[in-house]
Amino acid sequence: MGLDWKVVYALARRELASYLANPAGYVFLTLFIAATAAGAFLQEGFFARNLADLALLNKVMPLILMLFVPAVTMNLWAEERRVGTDELLLTMPVRDLEVVLGKFLGALGVYTVGLVFSLANVAMLAWLGNPDSGLMVATYLGYWLVGAAFVAIGLLGSMFSSNATVAFILAALGCAALVFSGTAPWANGIIGCGLFAAAAALVWVSASGSGKFAGFVALGGALVGLLLWLTGTWPGFVDAFGLLGVDQHFYGFGEGVVRLGDVVYFLGITTVVLYLCTFMIGRRHW
Amino acid sequence: MSSSKPSPAPVTIRAEKVSKVFGDFVAVHDLSFSVRKGTVTAFLGPNGAGKSTTMKMLTGYLAPTSGSVELLGKSPMETEARIELSRKLGYLPENGPLYLDMTPRELLGHFGAVRKLDKLDQAITRVVEQCAIEEVLHKPIGKLSKGFRQRVGMAQALLCDPEVLILDEPTSGLDPLQIREVRSLIRQLGESKTILLSTHILQEVEAVADRVLMVHEGRLVFDGSVDELKADSTLDERFYALAAPAKPSTAKPEKAKN
Repeated sequence: MGLDWKVVYALARRELASYLANPAGYVFLTLFIAATAAGAFLQEGFFARNLADLALLNKVMPLILMLFVPAVTMNLWAEERRVGTDELLLTMPVRDLEVVLGKFLGALGVYTVGLVFSLANVAMLAWLGNPDSGLMVATYLGYWLVGAAFVAIGLLGSMFSSNATVAFILAALGCAALVFSGTAPWANGIIGCGLFAAAAALVWVSASGSGKFAGFVALGGALVGLLLWLTGTWPGFVDAFGLLGVDQHFYGFGEGVVRLGDVVYFLGITTVVLYLCTFMIGRRHW
Repeated sequence: MSSSKPSPAPVTIRAEKVSKVFGDFVAVHDLSFSVRKGTVTAFLGPNGAGKSTTMKMLTGYLAPTSGSVELLGKSPMETEARIELSRKLGYLPENGPLYLDMTPRELLGHFGAVRKLDKLDQAITRVVEQCAIEEVLHKPIGKLSKGFRQRVGMAQALLCDPEVLILDEPTSGLDPLQIREVRSLIRQLGESKTILLSTHILQEVEAVADRVLMVHEGRLVFDGSVDELKADSTLDERFYALAAPAKPSTAKPEKAKN
């Protein structure tokens, strides 16, 4: 049987309503708009460039999202586990994937509301000059896709702990891996080792059906990655993990170019991470 | 004139040699029992006996390490069967977890939407009346007393007019008057539904249950009626005797009756 989108909608609506009924939600939206406005206009060179675009914001947007999106997602599942409502939810007529999609779309809705309010920046550009509408649409599509991938990573981070602070840190680390990948060879190497660790733990957990010794297996995976990197056994190690970086895929959107490969990159990351979220929810059966 | 014996009611809940192990800890050990339709069965045992873990397995939230469970003839471990079963199952988890930022009305509306209930407004009106939560219907759950929260949890469990009700310590946190009301509600519901409730309160068992399953350290140590439990000593004495530290050589479960 396929997904029931009515159930997904009901779950997403609850998430969105809960966030927007909470003063913290409005604090987030205000800070987000302020941060994007500062990124767009308060950086040195905005007026000297004499261009009505968001090029300066584009440089810092992944960094802003790296901190803001985990703040939205940290409670998504951690709070359910802390309060115990996950038990209630998972004994309703819902599939694990419906729960994941409901949570994801609810948080993506919150982020989308933030993006809509940040259109004030575009209004400011229109007041100052004559921004290219195609460029603005492409740029905002890029922001939305980066945000979608980060929301998925945030949801995954929220599934590792019932503590919201831990969930925030894990999510921010996951987003940081994508933000800093491709920026320096050492960053690529560290991210590569981290992914080796995560993949080893995932394979171990899937094969054994238990989380026992997963930490040791992850450490082993990281060591294998480290050996491949430092001994030069895999010469393309650093370059391969540099390809994961958000910047190089987001760059085109900021230039007004929507490449299929870039869209697939963001949707691919989102899909893979949402699959991992479903896997994490299924862990309760172990 | 031939007096034909009425056929026994069908089995609604069945557990067959169910065990659940968390790491090195055996929470439930080789538990077998069945519950017939239209009965109120009490899962009695001290804290940590394995009652909640067993209930989590019956609802499909946890999978048994070994053995099998069935609800209405289907395994809650298979996704599609679980979806179908959960439409006929009302569940009140331990401590009645709820979304504290919602009002009872919003919560019931939300779970009704998740369950895709037809005539949701009528269903809400019914459970609000049954659980007597009219006066707090539009107050945030986080600001309600423990007793009202528990009643909202009960209302949530009854929303789909379930065939099977699994209630994990339904009177926990209630005052004596509320306890009496909830017990009366359980008795009333037990006339048409199969109810399995957990408790460590002996008076509750006497007040509502047709049958008692007593568990201790994850093992079934008694299966019978309240009268049978009291047969050779007072209920209290029997409970404390059964719940005393287990002696492995003598802790064999009594034969489970269907």
